[in-house]
Amino acid sequence: MSRPDWIVLVLTLLGIIAYGLYKGRTSRDLDGYFLANRMVPWYMVLLGIMGTQASAVTFLSAPGQAYTDGMRFVQYYFGLPLAMVVLCITFVPAFRRLKIYTAYEFLEQRFDLKTRTLTSFLFLLQRGLSTGISISAPSIILSSLLGWDIIWTNIFMGGLLIIYTMTGGAKAVAYTQQLQLIIIFAGMFIAGYMVIHHLPAGVGISEALHIGGKAGKLNIITTGVSSKGFDWNDRYNLFSGIIGGFFLALSYFGTDQSQVGRYLTARSVSESRLGLLMNGLVKVPMQFLILLLGVLVFAFYQFNKEPVFFNQSQIDLLASSKYKDSLKVLEKAYEATESARITALSFPQQLKVIEGQKAGYKATVRRWLKDIGGDDNDTNYIFLRFVVDYLPKGLVGLLIAVIFLAAWGSIAATLNSLASCTIVDFHKRYSRTTNEEKEYRLSRMYTLFWGVFCVAVAQLAYNLGNSLIEAVNVLGSLFYGVILGIFLVAFYRKRVGATAVFISAIIVEAGVIFLNILSRKGIVPLSFLWFNVVGAIGVILLSEIIQICSPKLNIRLRDKA
Amino acid sequence: MTEETQEEEAPLFKRWSVWYMLVIGFLILLILFFYFLTKKFS
Repeated sequence: MSRPDWIVLVLTLLGIIAYGLYKGRTSRDLDGYFLANRMVPWYMVLLGIMGTQASAVTFLSAPGQAYTDGMRFVQYYFGLPLAMVVLCITFVPAFRRLKIYTAYEFLEQRFDLKTRTLTSFLFLLQRGLSTGISISAPSIILSSLLGWDIIWTNIFMGGLLIIYTMTGGAKAVAYTQQLQLIIIFAGMFIAGYMVIHHLPAGVGISEALHIGGKAGKLNIITTGVSSKGFDWNDRYNLFSGIIGGFFLALSYFGTDQSQVGRYLTARSVSESRLGLLMNGLVKVPMQFLILLLGVLVFAFYQFNKEPVFFNQSQIDLLASSKYKDSLKVLEKAYEATESARITALSFPQQLKVIEGQKAGYKATVRRWLKDIGGDDNDTNYIFLRFVVDYLPKGLVGLLIAVIFLAAWGSIAATLNSLASCTIVDFHKRYSRTTNEEKEYRLSRMYTLFWGVFCVAVAQLAYNLGNSLIEAVNVLGSLFYGVILGIFLVAFYRKRVGATAVFISAIIVEAGVIFLNILSRKGIVPLSFLWFNVVGAIGVILLSEIIQICSPKLNIRLRDKA
Repeated sequence: MTEETQEEEAPLFKRWSVWYMLVIGFLILLILFFYFLTKKFS
């Protein structure tokens, strides 16, 4: 990176930390630290929800996803607006009425302590690990692309935000997320403008869309239905997006404390609702625009030489392997093919042959990488490689800052929620402390602890490679449905008691894990989005059956509830 | 109870159900628009 890039990057990051420290002054109690004294307006709730959901990988991966697989990924978000409506009708009024700090407190009031402790523990386990991954993933990309040291990148990605999150709690998180999202959107719009600016004369957005469409990148709506029927293993289509996406969004926004903690900070039920509903209105168009950026970058590379592999660090790895001589020959041939392809753009027959050769070279590089144990997937590097190679000085620094800020917004909210669950659901619940000043100081310590924990997990993820990342991603999709099922029973099945829901949750969880094993072995073709549906509906049905079969249990638990 | 009732009042519209219909209606419009784009450019 050039000096102007460094200046922009450092100033932006320091500015955010200073802003968080300045705005984060709050009352020294749990209400102030975790709920910003319930004084946040709806638009900051909205930005908080969006900033928490959108991690760095959202802005790095999505354009690359559109570049390789097309825009059908947007369907993943179709269930989200529907989930926002259900949350506003059921979850928000219940949470606000009980004046709770964490979503899991509600479960003790409705069921019992063991159900609350179990769900809160699952949240801490899953979120603690996955936050480490969300630090690690963008750090790996930045360190590969810019040659930065991975330990320092992890510390900057996950460590600096601890300063303002620990000091100012939820209020600092809310105010910084507001500023972060403004910078992120500005950066992404500038990047979009620069892609269009770099297209040849006479090629505008419409022509770029035609180019993308011809290559199958405008596959925004797909049904997943073929001559063989519906493909249950197809990740992104209209039906999995609406149904699976609905259950996933309902679970994430309704039962994950990192999100619940955002709308509990609102001034009133109305402000919480408005923040959520606005999220339902803007999320899908926002995701569409980020994916569109990927299609525009794709169109750009039709007129310019595309790298044989977007992750340069893996090419460097090949250059020092047994394939180093073959790579030299391949790179020379690929370079000539790309030059020939650009001059043959107006000759479809010739172009088809050249593109076939090009695809062959790219496939060879992937095969070699796989053979030497490298990473043969460069999707996450596409957008950032374009930024680094083609954007002017200063703007590169801004876009790198965007990656950091996107990570910080999401991680800061999560650290705040991890600390709130630790102190409210465990420390305070079991030790029954009443000293507000002491609770406040402990909350800050727990924020620091979780921050250090997540950075350590990030480092571990780098050392262990893809195996841990995959394991954590699977972990989330395995638990979300069951936790949602517990909450849905709490809201909608009043006659079902604590023991029935607890037993059914454990049985269904075991079933979902078994289903995942069958799915991974290819015995049951089922995409991960459907696990949320199976888990949630499974808990509702099984708890109802257990309750009907055990009337004595029913009476005792109803009395207890 | 009074506080709860006051909080239930929806901004801009008389009832929250109008907001819910707006969100769902907008989603349907978006899906139709995306379908149009898919057909036009693919």
